[in-house]
Amino acid sequence: MAKELPGYGTINVPKDREVPFGAVTPAPVCTQDLFQTSNWRMKRPVKEDEKCTRCLVCYMSCPDACWEYKEAEDEMYWIANFCKGCQICIQECPTGALTAAPELDFPDGVVRLEKPF
Amino acid sequence: MAKEQMMTGCRAAAEGAKAAEVEVICSYPIRPYTAIMMELSKMVANGELNAEFVHGEGEHAQVSVVLGACASGARAFTGSSGVGVTYAMEVYSPMAGGRYPAQMSIADRTLDPPGDFGSEHTDAMSTRDQGWLLGWACSPQEVYDNTLIAYRVGEDHRVMLPQMVCQDGYFISHIPDKVTLGDQSQVKEFLPPYRPIGPLSTTHPVSHGPQIRPDQGAPMDAMRAQTFLAVPKVIEEATADFNRIFGRNYDPFVEQYKLEDAEIAFFIQGAHANTCRSSVDRLRSQGVKAGMARLRWVRPWPTHQLANALGHVKAVGVIETSTSYGGAMRGGNLIHELRASLYDLDERPLVTSFMGGLGGETIWPKDFDYMAKVLLQAVKEKKIRTYVQWLGM
Ligand code: SF4
Ligand code: SF4
Repeated sequence: MAKELPGYGTINVPKDREVPFGAVTPAPVCTQDLFQTSNWRMKRPVKEDEKCTRCLVCYMSCPDACWEYKEAEDEMYWIANFCKGCQICIQECPTGALTAAPELDFPDGVVRLEKPF
Repeated sequence: MAKEQMMTGCRAAAEGAKAAEVEVICSYPIRPYTAIMMELSKMVANGELNAEFVHGEGEHAQVSVVLGACASGARAFTGSSGVGVTYAMEVYSPMAGGRYPAQMSIADRTLDPPGDFGSEHTDAMSTRDQGWLLGWACSPQEVYDNTLIAYRVGEDHRVMLPQMVCQDGYFISHIPDKVTLGDQSQVKEFLPPYRPIGPLSTTHPVSHGPQIRPDQGAPMDAMRAQTFLAVPKVIEEATADFNRIFGRNYDPFVEQYKLEDAEIAFFIQGAHANTCRSSVDRLRSQGVKAGMARLRWVRPWPTHQLANALGHVKAVGVIETSTSYGGAMRGGNLIHELRASLYDLDERPLVTSFMGGLGGETIWPKDFDYMAKVLLQAVKEKKIRTYVQWLGM
């Protein structure tokens, strides 16, 4: 065949956009920072600490393990990078310590979607 | 040296899996592929094959089980037919995206409704965009051979992709033909053990199948597409090694039968290629310069190889054996991809298509005579009259 046919081209994924092969990553001890899942959240839980009895219901009910009890500080700690905003913890909290805040309402002005945090 | 035996395509697939020393097998019954699992369960029960034999609760579970098995580092094998193939659809993309090189052996069956046992390629053809390696055998011997070749290609670290090794239900899966099995030393030389990348491990814990952000989706897709650019070379190497070690003579991508001086050619995959080959001989004895190109891999599609093999022919008749209702040519899918492959040639063949072998129908020698007549007429008129014709309709 005389004519040179077009090729399939090349694909160069920029270094800073590379994803782990097969999305397999070393298992994290706590959170998986290579794959964060918070940027489609529309509402986030906000805690009123005076009402919180440290009953751990939020810890048990969160499907994404986004509540942690920090023993030293005796405080319930919310893991922002993975909370998808399902609001289950808010429904389940027996003391009404948790309320839903719209995502764009951060005091430091973090904008959802533009840059996942 | 192994001797020739008579066996069906199903038995040949099971023998291939046994030769590959698969470690996990997951079954679920559906005709006609079930016979593969019947053979394998006997081999496991008789102690000829040391594998974990799991009975899934459906095809979705079957593919999920082999996904997990592969993730833990086992060479895994499953299979299905017809609506079983489509029932597992959700798991195909995760299998390919997670880079799990398990194998699924398909004995084609027409999709419902209503239940038709006959062979038709639409079941596995529907999965062609899910990132699997996909190809058809045209004899029990080729089923055995492709089982080994597909594992070797799929498990290569430049590839790491699952494979569908397809055979026509009944025509291949249930009609015995001569098969020469390799001996264990040949198989060992050809197929190295499976070396997983990042397998599940209690000492080095890893996460598989995480949720990713939308901005990670595009690079993920691009990296999969990039892999497909590397696959053809791996197929060429593996086929050359296979031919050398087992004394076979496969073209890696396209079997070319009497094409060199052909004026008209049939483009086909699977079982009906056997009738096609003898029809080419018959037509040639009547003075018609006919030839055949038989596709061995649908994914990756051998674009340039087909342009090379068919570029000089005046008219090509694509024999579809699967449906693409409402598609560009209103017939099957092979014609779309073949026409696209030939498009950039300065002079390209006329290409039309024939819907044949659907629902398990035989494509008879007289059908090939008819198709040859249509192609010769196209050559004479320098145009095709229609994109597609349904044989006998
Ligand atoms: S909103 Fe849902 S995901 Fe977020 S912390 Fe509460 S339960 Fe977990
Ligand atoms: S469920 Fe409510 S009260 Fe209980 S620990 Fe969580 S925030 Fe505090």
